[in-house]
Amino acid sequence: MAEARRFDLDRLSFRLTIGGLAGIALFFLIFPTAIVLLTSFTSTQSLRFPPSGYSLRWYAALIDAYQMQQAALNSLKVAAASTVLCVLLGTAGALAIGRSTARWAKILDSLFMSPLLLPALAFGFAALIYFSLVGAPLSLPTLILGHVAVCVPFVLRTTIASLAQLDPALLDASLSLGAGQFFTFRRVTLPLIGRGIAAGAFLAFMASFDNVPVSLFLTDARTEVLPIHLWQIIDTNLDVRTAAASGVLIVLTILLMVGAERFAGLSKQLH
Amino acid sequence: MTAPAGSASEWRLLLPLGAFFVLFFAAPLIVLLLVSLSDGLALDRFTLAQYAKFLGDAFSLSILFDTLALGVKATLVCLIFGLPLAWVCVHAPARLRSLLLFLVILPILTSVVVRTFAWIVILGRQGILNKAAISLGLIDEPLRLLFSEVGVVMVLAQVQMPLMVLPLITTLQRIDPNLADASWALGAGHWRTFRRVILPLWLPGLVAGSILVFAACTTAFVTQTLIGGARLVYMPLYIYQQATGANNWPFAAAMSVLLMTSVLLVVYLLNMVGRTRSAVQHG
Amino acid sequence: MTVLIGRRQILEAGLAAGALALLPRRANAADPLVVATFPGTWNEAHRDVLAPYFRKKTGAEVTQTIALATDQVAKLEASRGKPPFDVAIMDEGPLLDAVKAGVLEKYPVDKSPNYRDLVPAFQDPWGPKISLQVIGIGFNPRKIKERPKSWNDLFNPAYKGRVGLTALNSTLGMAFMVDLARTRGGGESDIEPAFKALKELLPGVGAISANLGAHAALFQQEQIDIAPYNFNFVQTLKEKGVDIEFATLDTGIPAWRTSLHLVKNAVQPDLAVQYIDAHIAPEVQEDMERTPYWVIPTNRKVPLKGEIVKQVAKSQDDLAKLRYFDWSKINERRSEWIERFNRDIKL
Repeated sequence: MAEARRFDLDRLSFRLTIGGLAGIALFFLIFPTAIVLLTSFTSTQSLRFPPSGYSLRWYAALIDAYQMQQAALNSLKVAAASTVLCVLLGTAGALAIGRSTARWAKILDSLFMSPLLLPALAFGFAALIYFSLVGAPLSLPTLILGHVAVCVPFVLRTTIASLAQLDPALLDASLSLGAGQFFTFRRVTLPLIGRGIAAGAFLAFMASFDNVPVSLFLTDARTEVLPIHLWQIIDTNLDVRTAAASGVLIVLTILLMVGAERFAGLSKQLH
Repeated sequence: MTAPAGSASEWRLLLPLGAFFVLFFAAPLIVLLLVSLSDGLALDRFTLAQYAKFLGDAFSLSILFDTLALGVKATLVCLIFGLPLAWVCVHAPARLRSLLLFLVILPILTSVVVRTFAWIVILGRQGILNKAAISLGLIDEPLRLLFSEVGVVMVLAQVQMPLMVLPLITTLQRIDPNLADASWALGAGHWRTFRRVILPLWLPGLVAGSILVFAACTTAFVTQTLIGGARLVYMPLYIYQQATGANNWPFAAAMSVLLMTSVLLVVYLLNMVGRTRSAVQHG
Repeated sequence: MTVLIGRRQILEAGLAAGALALLPRRANAADPLVVATFPGTWNEAHRDVLAPYFRKKTGAEVTQTIALATDQVAKLEASRGKPPFDVAIMDEGPLLDAVKAGVLEKYPVDKSPNYRDLVPAFQDPWGPKISLQVIGIGFNPRKIKERPKSWNDLFNPAYKGRVGLTALNSTLGMAFMVDLARTRGGGESDIEPAFKALKELLPGVGAISANLGAHAALFQQEQIDIAPYNFNFVQTLKEKGVDIEFATLDTGIPAWRTSLHLVKNAVQPDLAVQYIDAHIAPEVQEDMERTPYWVIPTNRKVPLKGEIVKQVAKSQDDLAKLRYFDWSKINERRSEWIERFNRDIKL
C-alpha cells in the first residue's frame, strides 16, 4: 500500500509540474497576441489595457495610412520575388544534395543552412557594405537578393526532408518503364515533393515578409518595408494605428497558416 | 535510384544555388572581414586596429558579454518552459495535439515587431502584468519591467519559445515509448524515469533547440531595442549605431565579426556537449 | 491534385509580383516626396496638417522618414549621390554640421513665395526657420502637486526614482545639459557643472530614455513623473490623455530654431521646395498653432495665440528674447560629451 501511495505522489507531482509549466508557457505564447488584438479596438488614443471604450476607428485610420500601405506593398513584392527565387534555387539544390549520402553533400547541406545560424544582422550589414562596394545602389532588387540568402534554407530544409521520404523504388520503376530523367522528375518526383516545396515556400515567404535584420540595412525611406516602418513608429510614438496594423497582420497570418496547413500539411513538415 | 556522386545533372542542379551563395552570401561576409581589418573603405591598409579598439575597451567588452549572457538567460528560460510544453504537446490526445501545434507555430510566423509591441502594452508600470501582480498581492510597487534586462529576457524567451519547442517535439517523438514503460515496470518513478531515461535521450533535441534560441536571441534587434529601451545597449544596436549613425563601417564590421564568431563558438560548444553526452550514452 | 493547383497558382502570382518588383522604376509624378521629420509632435503635425495641404496643392504624396537631426546628417553623408530623402529638418546645432558636410543645397528663395513673409530673424539662405522649440519641465500634475520652477526641482529628494533624463543625441538632451550648466556657472564651452550635478542626481533617476519616443512612453506608462521636455511634445501627450503639464523655467526659457532644407542631389527638388514653402504658408502655420501641436509660427502674418501666449511668449518680439545657444561651441565637443554621457550616466 505504501508503495502505491509513493507512486501516486510521484506521478502527481510530476504531472502537476509539467502541466503547470506547460500551461504557463502556452498562456504566455498566446496572451500577448490576444492583448494586441483587444487593444486595437480601443476608442481612445492610448494603449492602456483594458481599453476604456471600443471602436473600429483605428482600423478605419489604416485606410488613410498611405505610408503604411506603401510599406506593406513593398513587403509583399519583395516577399513574393524572394520566394520565387528561393523555390527555384532551393529545389534545384535540394535535388542535388538530398538524394546523395556522400560527404560533400553533407558539408554543402550545413553550408547552405548556415544563414539560419549566423546573426542575420551581421549578414545584413555585410550585404550593405558589399553592395556599396560594387556600386549597386539600394533598391528593391538588392533587398530581394539579401532576403533570398537568409530565406532559401527554409525551402532547402523542407524539400530535402521530403526527398528523404521519397521511395527510390518509384523512380526506378518510372525509369525502367522507359521514361526519361526529366519526365520522371516532372511527373513522379515533383508531385511527391510538392508539399515539401510548398511548405518551404510558405516559410520563406513569411520569413521574408517579417524580416528585420537584413531589411534594417538594405532599405531606406524610398524602399520601406512594413516591419521596419512599424518598428520606427513604435520607437518614436505610441500610435494605436500600430495595434490595428498588428491586428490585420495577425489575422492574415492565421488565415495563411490555415491555408498552408490544408495545402501543404505545414505542421507535419515542421516536425 | 540516386545519381552517382558528381554526375553532370547534379552539378547542373547545384550550380544556381552554389553560384548565388558564393556571390551573395560568402562574398559579402568576406568583404565584411576585409573591411573589419582595414581603416576605411579604400581597403588599402590592413590593420587589427578595429579589433584592438573593441577588445581593449571595457565598455564595448561589457556590451558583448551582456549580449551573450542575455542569450544564455533567455535560452535557460526557454528550456524550463519549453520542455514541459513539448512534453504536453507529444502526450496530448490527437485532436488537442494539432491545436497545440498550431498555437506553437503561429508565433514564429507572426511578425516579431507585432509580438514585441504586444509586450510593450503589457509590461508598462500601469500595464496589466503589474496591475495583476499588485492586485494579487505579490508586489507592492510596480516593477520596472519595461526598459530593464528582466523584461528583455522575458520577452525574448516568449518570442523565441517556438524555436525551442519544435525541435524538442521532433526528438521526443522519436524516443521509443517502450523505454519509459520498461523503466516504470522496473519500479522507477516518473521523476526518476524522466531524469535517467528520457532526458539523456532527449539531449539532441535540447541541444538543437538551445542552439536555435541562443542564436536568435543574441541577434534579436527589435526585441532588444523596443523592450530594452535602447539605453540597454546590446551588440545588435551597437553595430547598427556605429554602422548607420556614426558611419564607422570598419569598427562596426569588426564588431559584426566578433559577434558572429562568439555566437558560432557557443553553438560549437553546445554541439560538443550534445555529442559527448550521447557518446557516453551509447558507448 | 489540389496541391499542384494551389502551388502553381501561388507560383504564378508570385512570379507576377516578383517581376513587378524587379522592373526598373522611373521617377514619375506619382512618386511620393520623401522627407525627413522629427519624432513626436513633428511627424504627426507633418503627417496630419502639412501633407494634406501639400497634397491638395501639388497632388503628390509624402513619405516620411523619422530621424533625429544628427542621424539625418550621418545618412546624408553616407549616400551623397542618392540621398535617402529630399527634405531635411534640422535644429541649429546639427545644421552647422550639415552645412559643413556640404550635404545641403542653398534654398532657392525665388521659388518660394511665402519666404518673404517670414519674420526676418527666421530667414536663412540655407532654409527657412519653420518654428522654435522651447524646453522646460514636463511633469505629472497628479503626482507632483507643486509646479516646478527650475532645473533644481529635478533634484528634489521627494521625487526620487521618478525623474527622467534623455540621452544627449537629441537636441532636447543637449540643450538641457548646457542650460543646466549655465544655471550653475558653466556654459557652452564648459558643461562640467552639469555632469557633476547629474552624477549626484543619478540615484534618483527613474529612467533614461535614448530617444524622444521612449521619453513619451515613460510618461505614459508613469515610469517617470518629471523630466526635461519640449513644450510641443507635452501638449501632444496631453491630448492623448497622458497626465502631463509643461512648466516654464524661472531662469529663462531655453530655445532653438528648427528649419527645413533642400538636400543636395535631391531626386525631386522642385517638389521639395514646394513642400518647404508649404510649411511656412500662413494657413499651415495657423493650422499647426493649435491642439495638439502648438507649433510656434514664424510667418509674420500668423499671430501668436493660445497656449503659446500663455506659457512661452506674448509676441514675436518676446520670442527674440528667449535664451538661445551658441551651437558652434557646443558642436566642438558634442561627440565627446555624448560618449561621456553614455558611459558615466548609466542606471
